[in-house]
Amino acid sequence: MKRQKRHSPSKDVWVFGDYRNYFQNRVTLQLIAKGRELARTLGGKVTVLVLGAQVHQYAMEYVAHGADMVMVVDHQDLMDFQVETYTRIVTSLVEDYRPDIFLAGATPFGREFFPRVAKRLKTGLSTDCIALEVDPENQLLLQTTPSFGGELLAEVITQDHRPQMATVHPGVFEERPHDHQAIGRISYPEVDIARDNRVQLVRSRPEQGKKGRLEDAPVVVVGGWGVNSKEQFQMLSELAELLGGEVGATRPAVRAGLAEEGRLLGQTGKKIKPKLLITVGTSGALQYTTGIQGAETIIAINRDAQAPIFKMADLGLVGDAGSILALVLDKLRKRI
Amino acid sequence: MVKQRESLISAYHNYLVNNMLSPGFYVGVPDSVTDFYFLADIMLPGEVTPPISARLYDSSGSFLVELRRNSISKNPCHYVFETIPQGFRIVSSADEIFLDVNTQRFANGYLTRINAKLHDSNGHLRIEPSYEGIHVYGEACLTLNAPFDRQKG
Repeated sequence: MKRQKRHSPSKDVWVFGDYRNYFQNRVTLQLIAKGRELARTLGGKVTVLVLGAQVHQYAMEYVAHGADMVMVVDHQDLMDFQVETYTRIVTSLVEDYRPDIFLAGATPFGREFFPRVAKRLKTGLSTDCIALEVDPENQLLLQTTPSFGGELLAEVITQDHRPQMATVHPGVFEERPHDHQAIGRISYPEVDIARDNRVQLVRSRPEQGKKGRLEDAPVVVVGGWGVNSKEQFQMLSELAELLGGEVGATRPAVRAGLAEEGRLLGQTGKKIKPKLLITVGTSGALQYTTGIQGAETIIAINRDAQAPIFKMADLGLVGDAGSILALVLDKLRKRI
Repeated sequence: MVKQRESLISAYHNYLVNNMLSPGFYVGVPDSVTDFYFLADIMLPGEVTPPISARLYDSSGSFLVELRRNSISKNPCHYVFETIPQGFRIVSSADEIFLDVNTQRFANGYLTRINAKLHDSNGHLRIEPSYEGIHVYGEACLTLNAPFDRQKG
């Protein structure tokens, strides 16, 4: 079958298949679900673009989770997620097939790779989106993203250029359940691989001291600027452990060296949907709260009764973080 | 001008044929009693063994063995059906592997690789190993969208 450049953009939605650490990293599955919804509104299909070596398993998984089509570029030289090579190949495919919308996870790779693709395609890119909808009036993609340091939520449209591109944090959308009866289409375009060797992967290793995944934890205890010592952060860790949860942090706490970057929640960190979130010493800045909007129940502890965090909390405790944590821990230790 | 290949893909089980995933395929005319065919039928959710039926010849066009859904039905040359942990093999009396069907299990699905060099009754090459799977030649359907019996009906 011949592949020709389309003269007009399709109504299709593309999702970049970031399958590394597949069973933990669900953002591609979440984007397939959202992409499917958008594509149905537009009258198009959702296609997942997968680059790599021996990626059959992931192609099948994407179909099971709702992809209409999986486009596979399978080559040994694509084993590593190498940004220069991936950018060139993906740009070339987008130019040929002209999808209307192209989505990627705001993973470390997505954040490095997607702006390069957008630049080469001379189109817009909304990063770290927290909502995506099709405007029923003009069929444009409404991309909601925090702006001005998280002080505002902006609705962005890409009026004239295609594709409309956006990155989305893990956990913003729900994935569809795995359907092992699903049938989709698979396409193998012939592309020039020509690996770019200016940057080479020397070695990779798992993050040291890795704890559980924040995104999967049913309980998350978050420390902010008000938790201002390592001792108090240690209390948060103990509380999280006693409740079977994980510890998260806001940017000021990470900046102060109280928590590692991987624990960061919010606009530039992770987005979570725990059943219970205990947020301690956090003021409630938008940069942070965009990451916790999906929490079912929020308990806030802060010494400032006027702190904005209390507006979104189900239960608020006004007082010194260290004293309240000590009391709670004392009670819990006796019960467990 | 650049080319692309396209196929169906099942979320549950696929074969690797012509460097593509496919839920099922056949070469030749399945159910023929006089000529070559190779049918790798669709494996339905719940099943764990891909159903293979075939009528196979050597490179001089001599009939060797017939297989119906993973069971030898005609066997003038005394081939042996061997079960292996990930599938099965057809082995000659000289202990040479004639057909190897190997199914890899993923967390949520299966992928079958076939390894064989197969000929039709005219001695023409119809299937040979290629990269991860096989490459097929001549009359073939590379994408079944339903089990062969249902498609016939």
